[in-house]
Amino acid sequence: MSQLEPFLAFSAEVTAFPIVELQGTGQAESYLQTVEDIVGTQRLDRLLVLYQSLPLATREDIRQARADRLRRDIFGSDELGPIARNIIKLWYSGTWYELPSAWTEAYGPAPQDVTFVVAPSSYVEGLLWTAIGAHPAGAKAPGYASWQWPPHIPPFAGDPAATPR
Amino acid sequence: MISSIKKTSLAEIKARLEQHPIEAVIVGTGISGAIIANELTKAGKNVLLLEAGPGTNLTLQGYNEFLSNFYGATSKDNQAPYPVNPNASMPRSTNLRKLQPGETDSATYMVQSGPYVTDTNYTRVYGGTTMHWEAKTPRMLPEDFKSQTLFGQGVDWPLGYDDLEEFYQVAEREIGVSADVEDQSYLGVTFPKDYVYPMKGLPLSYLDQQVAKRLDGTEVELYGQRYPLKIRPFPQGRNGIPNDKYDRGQGYVPVGAVSNHQIEIGERCQGNTNCVPICPVQARYHSGKTLAKAFQRATGSIHLLVQAVASRVVIDPVSGRVTALEVKVYKDPKSSEHETVTIAATIFVLASNAIETPRLMLASGLRSSSGLIGRNLMDHSYLLSWATMPEICGTMRGTSVTGGIIDLRGGAFRRHQAAFSVDIHNDGWGWAVGSPYSDLTTLVDQYNLFGPELRRGLINRISSQLLLAFMIEVMPSESNRVTVDPQYTDQLGNMRPVVSFTVPEYTMRGAAYAREFARTVFARVGAADQSRYDPGDYGYVAYNGQGYAIRGGNHLAGTHVMGNDRNRSVVDTNQRSWDHPNLYLVGGGSMPTIGTANVTLTLAALCYRSARSMLDQLQ
Repeated sequence: MSQLEPFLAFSAEVTAFPIVELQGTGQAESYLQTVEDIVGTQRLDRLLVLYQSLPLATREDIRQARADRLRRDIFGSDELGPIARNIIKLWYSGTWYELPSAWTEAYGPAPQDVTFVVAPSSYVEGLLWTAIGAHPAGAKAPGYASWQWPPHIPPFAGDPAATPR
Repeated sequence: MISSIKKTSLAEIKARLEQHPIEAVIVGTGISGAIIANELTKAGKNVLLLEAGPGTNLTLQGYNEFLSNFYGATSKDNQAPYPVNPNASMPRSTNLRKLQPGETDSATYMVQSGPYVTDTNYTRVYGGTTMHWEAKTPRMLPEDFKSQTLFGQGVDWPLGYDDLEEFYQVAEREIGVSADVEDQSYLGVTFPKDYVYPMKGLPLSYLDQQVAKRLDGTEVELYGQRYPLKIRPFPQGRNGIPNDKYDRGQGYVPVGAVSNHQIEIGERCQGNTNCVPICPVQARYHSGKTLAKAFQRATGSIHLLVQAVASRVVIDPVSGRVTALEVKVYKDPKSSEHETVTIAATIFVLASNAIETPRLMLASGLRSSSGLIGRNLMDHSYLLSWATMPEICGTMRGTSVTGGIIDLRGGAFRRHQAAFSVDIHNDGWGWAVGSPYSDLTTLVDQYNLFGPELRRGLINRISSQLLLAFMIEVMPSESNRVTVDPQYTDQLGNMRPVVSFTVPEYTMRGAAYAREFARTVFARVGAADQSRYDPGDYGYVAYNGQGYAIRGGNHLAGTHVMGNDRNRSVVDTNQRSWDHPNLYLVGGGSMPTIGTANVTLTLAALCYRSARSMLDQLQ
């Protein structure tokens, strides 16, 4: 069964970009494939199953409990944390970053694990640029003289600057 | 524009050589070679252009492959778009390491003989380094031409600002400079009455404006003199809005992208923030635009031979005249298989840049009777200082640089320390620390951020970045040089350049002041200084108890210096070799000093001037 749906759900939560925007990049399948190719389908499955077992965040107190579990069980896992962080970096920059050597020693080898840009279009579709109200250098140009105006930084759900806690 | 440029096969060139003698062979398709080719073909001369690279970018498709290479490259450095070619290698900053005293590093194409390791680079593809240049086009200051007389530093030029002024205008037309005269009239730079640049100046970025609103009108004091500061726009070799007052009201028609079919891009800068290493739409000038004009006009009298690496200049020992050029024409970049051809011509023009041109001369055993070939290598030394602005400034938008501080390009302090020009980088801390990628990895891997905290963290960290790049003047020194050594050769067996360089103390005094100056600017704009220089950095230089990471500027000059005295220069003021009367060495290598001007506009002006002399010689 395709893991695309849970992969997108996880990606949306950890990048703070909604699923529809992730799909809009056209990169979802190739990113999923990249992660599976490098760390193996079973390991990614475990990450996603664990993710799906997190308590649903319907209330503020549960939202906090969910974030805590996400941090402790996934980002805090020696095995799954580096993968989770790499998934974020993939979406933001289109680049797979070589996993830490400690990870490779413990869980490797992962022969395809080198730093690389997944595809030229992955670079162009990096979320980094959208997040900061800019554009990838060399693509999606905003137009002559647009640089003289303040940036338009898109609002997003959960922005700590917009909703002080 | 539609271009009729095409490659000519070696077989065809050989057949033509027998029927139509070549009047000028030009080595290199960068801006110098392009300007000279264009001027000679205008006068009906028969020209052969040699290009070491494969010339895949003659078509839009080939040009766009470079762009795609850039998108897909892990390192977005100056050479990221340009494929590795062992038959015409290029220096690359990503391959450098710090040297121990006395050590030489030959692991990279340009052998680093130290003690300073320079990351200066140039591009050996069709279009030369104009394929990756940033296209800032300031004129040199009148005082720059007389630095020995005025400041007791460097040497005086055999030409002055007034001798070059008309040629600056021609170069500004060809490059298509966007600027406003009122912004560029400073420190003695003058323009003829009613002169306007071809296109109107590009507006300052929002980041520039945030700095300007706090800095403009303040002053610094240096050796008892006060210097007022102001953020000004730089003149840029990229398409803006044509000025209808240009050319006494005739206006200016920008040159867009060049290909062999009609394309509708490149008319005006779109703000891709990617002038270096490749403008995706060709709004920024590259020398292919000039060559397109030459080919359009003179089909039949100009030919382009690609994959052709000039390997030896052959001299008649009695007259000193160049009789031929030996050229290695390779079949494929991956293979050393090649054919050596000997090409005769009336005049020979070496336009390959201030490292490759002396490299070729020295590899041919031609040291020049002055002994100055390869010596006096200059490049601007860059010192970077970076900080966080007190608010979101929209960094990562605009052309690479729109504005900066030019008030310390000139002044009496140059008796004591180097002048500098300061760029505000619209691409943030990228040059210094690899932003925005390094920001992403720091926040994710070190700060353990994810979700909304990460997204907000990236905004705050990246959009407020301010980087000041100090372009510091370097004066000529005979020990800063390019040499060759038979133990270091490339895949074709050509000797590689060996560079020895020490950043002069005069420059380091300028660098030390630049660091102080940056602190002053940050204090005035309320920015948090984040600069740090790692002693392990390949460009680390210690001076007066402080350390600085010095970067190269790719503004290569000085290695075949021009002068009026054949014993103290390599070429005359027409860039003609004193020793070899039918040989011209053109480009930055002819410049006796570089002041604080990016070298391209000045070397382009010199090429226009030299083309007249070549035409006289070909009469």
